[in-house]
Amino acid sequence: MIVLDKVDKVFPGTTIPAVNQVSFQVDEGNICVFVGPSGCGKTTILRMINRLVEPSGGDIYIKGKKVSDKGVNPDELRREIGYVIQQIGLMPHRTVEQNVSLVPYLLKWPEDKIKPRVKYLLEMVGLDPEEVSRKYPYQLSGGMMQRVGVARALAADPPIMLMDEPFGAVDPIVRGRLQEEFLRLQKEMKKTICFVTHDINEAIKMGDHIVIMNEGKLVQHGTPMEILSEPADGFVKDLVGTDREIKLLELTKSKEIVKRTDDIPSEVWEKDSFILAIDPVQRALETMMKKDTNIVGVRDETETIGTISWNDIKKLINKISGDQ
Amino acid sequence: MDRFISTLVDRSPPHALEHLQLVLIPVVIAFVIAFTVAVLLTRQRFVKYTDRVMTIFNMGQTIPPLAVIAVFFPFLGLGREPALFALTIYALLPIARNTLTGLKCVPGEVKEAARGMGMSEWEMLFRVEIPLSMPVVMAGVKISVVLTSGTAALGALVGGGGMGAVIFAGIDFFRPELIVAGTLIIAAIAIILDRILTVIDNLLTPPHMKT
Amino acid sequence: MVFFSAILQWFTNFYDKNLGFIAFIIRRWEQVVEYTYNHFTLVITVMFFSLILWISVGLLISRYEKLANTAFGIGNILFVIPSISLFGIFITIPMLGLGRTSAALALILYAMMPMVRNVYRGIKSVEWPVIEAGRGMGMSAKQILFQIQIPIAWPIIFAGIRVTVVMITGIATVATFIGERNLGRFIHHGIARESADMIIAGAVIVSVIAILLDYILGKIEYKITSPGLKRE
Repeated sequence: MIVLDKVDKVFPGTTIPAVNQVSFQVDEGNICVFVGPSGCGKTTILRMINRLVEPSGGDIYIKGKKVSDKGVNPDELRREIGYVIQQIGLMPHRTVEQNVSLVPYLLKWPEDKIKPRVKYLLEMVGLDPEEVSRKYPYQLSGGMMQRVGVARALAADPPIMLMDEPFGAVDPIVRGRLQEEFLRLQKEMKKTICFVTHDINEAIKMGDHIVIMNEGKLVQHGTPMEILSEPADGFVKDLVGTDREIKLLELTKSKEIVKRTDDIPSEVWEKDSFILAIDPVQRALETMMKKDTNIVGVRDETETIGTISWNDIKKLINKISGDQ
Repeated sequence: MDRFISTLVDRSPPHALEHLQLVLIPVVIAFVIAFTVAVLLTRQRFVKYTDRVMTIFNMGQTIPPLAVIAVFFPFLGLGREPALFALTIYALLPIARNTLTGLKCVPGEVKEAARGMGMSEWEMLFRVEIPLSMPVVMAGVKISVVLTSGTAALGALVGGGGMGAVIFAGIDFFRPELIVAGTLIIAAIAIILDRILTVIDNLLTPPHMKT
Repeated sequence: MVFFSAILQWFTNFYDKNLGFIAFIIRRWEQVVEYTYNHFTLVITVMFFSLILWISVGLLISRYEKLANTAFGIGNILFVIPSISLFGIFITIPMLGLGRTSAALALILYAMMPMVRNVYRGIKSVEWPVIEAGRGMGMSAKQILFQIQIPIAWPIIFAGIRVTVVMITGIATVATFIGERNLGRFIHHGIARESADMIIAGAVIVSVIAILLDYILGKIEYKITSPGLKRE
């Protein structure tokens, strides 16, 4: 869907490239998270995809089409790409409704199509259209503003979204809630999303794919599991942190390590120690401690599909701790 | 050109001196009055009137300078004192406005902290409020000086003398060199006073507030 | 009865002494109308050109930062030149001489500082994330200017227009000394003839007009400001 091929960016007046020979690919319907310290070039990459910044070298393709082609008008390109930034940038002089309908107006949608669309979007991001439509940005809380920002970016139903620390300006509790709601939305929307953050936990939580950047260079890319289990070098290891075992337990779904069997030990039935297949492995561990057992049963929506034992969890952890 | 230079050298100095007086005396008097009034108005007892007084100040500032100069003439007659009086009134508003703004903008928590350390009302005024509001006050004084210096040219109309007399003579007799010479000297007075005030401002402003 | 007549007496005295200017205004009503008309046509002419010229300059210097310092430098110099001098200098320029063109040109120069400064300040008051978001959503430079920057800056620009109108109305009185037949003339002639009524009439009319203008424009300013920008 989005392909970067040896992309460089050297800003005028500097000699050190902000982005240095970066190549990767984002698959359709995936969330690709760029993570790294500030100044590592992750935001620049994002802004090159919608041509807010022009690359100094290399090529960027969206759906096989080169974005820097002469035929592509950058303004029109951007109208097809949702854009959310940390500071949100809601228009202070316009109501929530006017803010959300901005891109549809730019695309000259008919009036009668815009109104219901705004209502639908506001409901989708968890806001009450009756309550907020006529409000101005300063009357909203930080979390509400972020929601409006996301609704605005989704207004014209763009296939691609660029999100630069979209939940960075709110407190951790609200952030967690926004992240979960957004993941739920994404399950239905299946957008192709480029997501920038400096928070590795957010990256692991949100990303189908993670790109780790440092000093303009791509250090490692892969699934969260790959990043956690096989950090490419010391930089990635430091970034991932000392608690990567715990992160792994949070990240891995029980169904990924479940031993499929019909033979459920009686201990499980007696102690009623069951978890759901979509629960993280961490839940299995908690249940074991609570019920004082070393095996739990795993259930699908309707039936019991297998078990996870204490040894299974140890094996999972050993997979990443083995090299320490 | 000769006439221009002779105007500048021979005729100007006494008028320039007069003009300087027409600026300095009103601004100094205005400063004392405006500062006192503004300080009083920000005391606990009068603080509820500040907004209303501010509105009046703002309204006063819209009154055209020529009207201010002229309106006292019927009561006070011609001469230097009436001109000084009118200019003082004119110089008052910018200083009062800025002093009021400056004092009002001293952060509440700073005052709270000062009170918490046991400062008396007076100590707080002189050690906290006035020093912190100094940049804004001085900005007001500067505006006042520039405005008064220009308006003082109109003081000549009511017998106040100063460079205005030279300029009016230039207009009446159609002598450009008089107008230009008068203008240059008035502009010079305004700029020099502004510079001096900038130096004073730098000395008075607490180091951390300098930009 | 005695009491009432005493009050009446006091009023008549007060009126004769201090309010003679009202009689003057009534007596010279036609002249008041003529001078007011001239005054306003001058102010309107000046504002017409100032709006076009200085808003453009303001927008220009907010885009080309290097020009801003030059513009403010010129504005500051203009500001220390007394109004009477500026009028005086213009009439000595052979092409112009006494009259409206000189008066208007001097006043347009005076309008520069408040107008340009407020346009610049207004445009600069737009926070960058708003522009970044606008760009990111695909607004063209023109759309950003007309749909984001100018609407957000508008209250500040309008405040500049308000200050300028009031200031120009005030300074225009001084143009009487270069031959304008406007409201300044009552003051000018009043001083020459030592007529208190005439001076006070002139000063009062001009002041009332200035205060009224400021008040009305203030109301308009409040009305046209988007509620979203009115936060305290």
